[in-house]
Amino acid sequence: MLPRLKRFADILVGERDAGASLLGRALQAMLAEQYRYQRGTALDVWAFGEVYRHWLHELRSAADPVAQAKIDETRFGALFHAEQDGYVDAPVIAFLRHLPAQQRLTLLLVYGEGFDHRDAGRVLDVSADTIAARLIRISATLADRLSDRPPAQAAAIVEPLYPEGLGGSP
Amino acid sequence: MTELSDELLVAYVDGQLARKQTRAVEKVLDQDDVLAARVDALKHAHARLEAAFEAILAGEEVDVSAASAPVEEGLVVPWRVVKIALAGLGIAAALALAVVGYGWPLKLPNMLQTAPQAASMSGGWQAETARAQALLSRQSLEVGLESQANYDLVAFQLEHILGTNLKFPNLEAQGFRFVRAQVLRYGDQPLIQILYLGAKGAPLALYAKKGEGSDTLTPGRYGAINTVAWAEDGVSYLLAGEVEDTLLMRIATRIKLEPAPPLRTAPKPYTPVNSALDESR
Repeated sequence: MLPRLKRFADILVGERDAGASLLGRALQAMLAEQYRYQRGTALDVWAFGEVYRHWLHELRSAADPVAQAKIDETRFGALFHAEQDGYVDAPVIAFLRHLPAQQRLTLLLVYGEGFDHRDAGRVLDVSADTIAARLIRISATLADRLSDRPPAQAAAIVEPLYPEGLGGSP
Repeated sequence: MTELSDELLVAYVDGQLARKQTRAVEKVLDQDDVLAARVDALKHAHARLEAAFEAILAGEEVDVSAASAPVEEGLVVPWRVVKIALAGLGIAAALALAVVGYGWPLKLPNMLQTAPQAASMSGGWQAETARAQALLSRQSLEVGLESQANYDLVAFQLEHILGTNLKFPNLEAQGFRFVRAQVLRYGDQPLIQILYLGAKGAPLALYAKKGEGSDTLTPGRYGAINTVAWAEDGVSYLLAGEVEDTLLMRIATRIKLEPAPPLRTAPKPYTPVNSALDESR
């Protein structure tokens, strides 16, 4: 289970060293608070949830949570082990890198771990419906990108408040 | 072309539909090339995601072998054995194996590095107060001798003792009813304790004492007790209870967003004259 937990932590923080560091702290917390484990809960669901909660707890305490959540392109790319011929799926990696952490984890739990929506929801502390909604949105977007289909029209058109060249003055 | 939403198609690809719905979708796909192509695109996207996640796992397992093999002379624990142990043993043994016996995570760089921005509440009045909170049980409030039905009077007394405006929140919307408030002592300073009970479980407490501090909501935990601390308007607050941390943070946010009340005046004692004056207003 450790490599799976490590992958979860890596995807969460977006790099290997920080993932290892997070997992270490989370494992220590789990050992210290193992009484929180409820008999009957799947061990992996519980452990993934604990790592996620630990990250969330640290993020809330961070002085600049937005900066904490930013991930480096090179380090994120290094998470993916190249095949023997050196192939890595660059478009999928770039797509994953631009997703918020919760959405990356949703994909990992459902398509990487094979969890059903309810268990994935338990890990991320959201409902199964939220998981389903995230998957629809992300899957449709990824399918569009990979098949070069034009993205669906946005429900609202966002325009800059001031056209370029006006120097921001009203 | 038949109109089938991406919602339905993703649910179909993920195997989330009932058998009857699956058959209906398959029937449509047999006759509609555009939809069939869309389903293929979704399946292709999922397959590439699965492959990408597999590629990470492959890297992790390479790391595990590299990190464990040379170090554990005379105590080589094959990965398969660890997996069996994790599946077969209890949570304590499994995690102990993970951290101590197998040794892998602690050997990776930065594994034991502490979080630089993590909330640190190792000392101070918050820590002592949270420890004291652990001694309170549901029964200690249920058999309370005091009657504190007059909410305004209690609020006035507390503010009078504290000497400043105090938030005295009503948490009924969050499922916690006010039960009792009292004044404790922390050193020479009064420490206000406002106690609430939910539908079940141990009490929730809001502590307040005069003092400055960060106005950021800072979570903490002491054993089973979760806490959120912050300061505002010269009062330092601590919300504590055996409540899930996300719920506790929501309650603390609600209290913090509540505007500070004006300094209360003493409620008038009941007399026939006061009563008549109130009625005539």
